[in-house]
Amino acid sequence: MAKNEPRQHTILITGATDGIGLLLARAYAERGHRILATGRRMIADDMAYFGLPNITYIRADQSDPKQAAQRIATAMYNLGWKQLDLAVLNGATGWTGDPAAETPDEIRKQIDINLTAPILLSQALGPWLFVNGGKLALIGSTAIVKGQGAFATYAATKAGLDGFARSLRSEWQDRAEVMIIHPGPTRTGMHKKVGLNLGAAKAFFMSPKRAAKAIQRAIRKGDGKRFVTRGYGWGSIFASAKEGQL
Amino acid sequence: MRALITGAAHGLGRALTEELLEQGHEVLAVDRDTEPLDDLAVKSRGACSVQLVDLANPNSLERMLVGLWEQKFDLVILNAGISASGKFEDIPSAAYAKLIAVNLQAPLVLASGLVRRGAMNNKSKIVFISSLSHAVGYPGASVYAATKDAIATYAKSVRKPFRKHGVGVLTVFPGPIQTDHADRYAPPGAKASRRMEPEVLAKLILKASTGKTSELYPGLTAYFGKLYGRFAPQMATKSMRKAIYEKLEDPVY
Ligand SMILES: NC(=O)c1ccc[n+]([C@@H]2O[C@H](COP(=O)([O-])OP(=O)(O)OC[C@H]3O[C@@H](n4cnc5c(N)ncnc54)[C@H](OP(=O)(O)O)[C@@H]3O)[C@@H](O)[C@H]2O)c1
Repeated sequence: MAKNEPRQHTILITGATDGIGLLLARAYAERGHRILATGRRMIADDMAYFGLPNITYIRADQSDPKQAAQRIATAMYNLGWKQLDLAVLNGATGWTGDPAAETPDEIRKQIDINLTAPILLSQALGPWLFVNGGKLALIGSTAIVKGQGAFATYAATKAGLDGFARSLRSEWQDRAEVMIIHPGPTRTGMHKKVGLNLGAAKAFFMSPKRAAKAIQRAIRKGDGKRFVTRGYGWGSIFASAKEGQL
Repeated sequence: MRALITGAAHGLGRALTEELLEQGHEVLAVDRDTEPLDDLAVKSRGACSVQLVDLANPNSLERMLVGLWEQKFDLVILNAGISASGKFEDIPSAAYAKLIAVNLQAPLVLASGLVRRGAMNNKSKIVFISSLSHAVGYPGASVYAATKDAIATYAKSVRKPFRKHGVGVLTVFPGPIQTDHADRYAPPGAKASRRMEPEVLAKLILKASTGKTSELYPGLTAYFGKLYGRFAPQMATKSMRKAIYEKLEDPVY
């Protein structure tokens, strides 16, 4: 297939200002691709923040899903992109505690950012992805497997992405490659942001670097659904891509 | 026993309400369209009270929660649900926002709100209605499928924490039901006879809600659908594609 030939690809990464998303943006940029990175922060100087010239950042706060999708579509248009080769919808947030204490606002916020925004964005990206059979990779979480008492709504939003991806993969089978990737616990700043101190448990978490590498491998392979566990992380150590590859 | 049913005016919600009243229980029946419930309210001589709530509207939802503060329930069935069927790209984003608000946001806000406010009696139960799509996928209604998967995992997640508050959780995964909902969203030519009667399903759900079951796949279609989805997930989704997606005509939302 032509799309596996090394060349400069156009790649969108949401939630690219921190954690796994930031590592993905840098890794793809280092291989020569053109990256549109999005997040909720204001960034004054893209070059200073990302350290690479081929990453363009725009602010697109997913807590307003419709506006975020519009801003991203506008940015791709302004960049003159005619097609999108890969979209990694990674931006997400969480809340932790007794689900009975979770307020309506917390519930709504997580659903908007983690589920509605990627859904509306997928819809906006369709026409760009269809041009050359691009890949749409949604980032879930292994929390969906057994559910998570302390992250009930977060786990629900990620399960929503799983159900969405499964059905959309079938709907778009001849036009774009939809996949869902579920990372296991990873040592990013995400837990601290939601007020969770991991303590010793951190030792059992994947390093963000390893998780990002494993996610890239899963995207190259194009499995419909992939759990990025520690085992898969180890297995991805030598799975390096060359210049111009995804 | 006192029960709360959302989406009580039609279909499964109506059947649940009627069955509960028949069994001599009290029901607070909630819907955005309460007129069809008026006859039940009169006939039940006060056992059935009716409340107008638009679950798509956060303010309406919050008003309801605040108004419930002095009531206690033994059974809450979060039954209200809508769909949007058609090719993913053919449905306007506003319809998706509403779908997610009604099918996902509302049940989560209600469940956690009821438990937090102490509106659930000890040894009470909350019932979430997911869908057989959880097992087999649903090309042609991918955002509906998203909401139903999300509900299933939420229910799984809160089972333990809610138990600490004396509240049990049951999740139901119904296959096609013989209701207006199914008529509205099913592709043309789909066989109505294969769908389960809402009265039959209502009885199965109420029976399960009194027991220890945490997940109910009601009837043979749901049972075999679950097995099919578990052992051959990709084939199951392919079958759904053939049965639904490839027969879609105009989107319905
Ligand atoms: N870490 C884990 O253990 C773990 C496990 C399973 C799955 N995941 C998933 O992996 C993905 C990456 O997580 P991570 O660990 O790398 O977390 P992270 O370091 O917190 O990164 C999340 C990214 O999403 C952005 N974001 C948050 N809210 C946003 C909003 N309203 N609009 C736009 N962007 C927003 C963040 O921006 P800010 O920098 O401004 O916060 C950040 O760039 C997420 O989808 C997460 O759910 C993580």
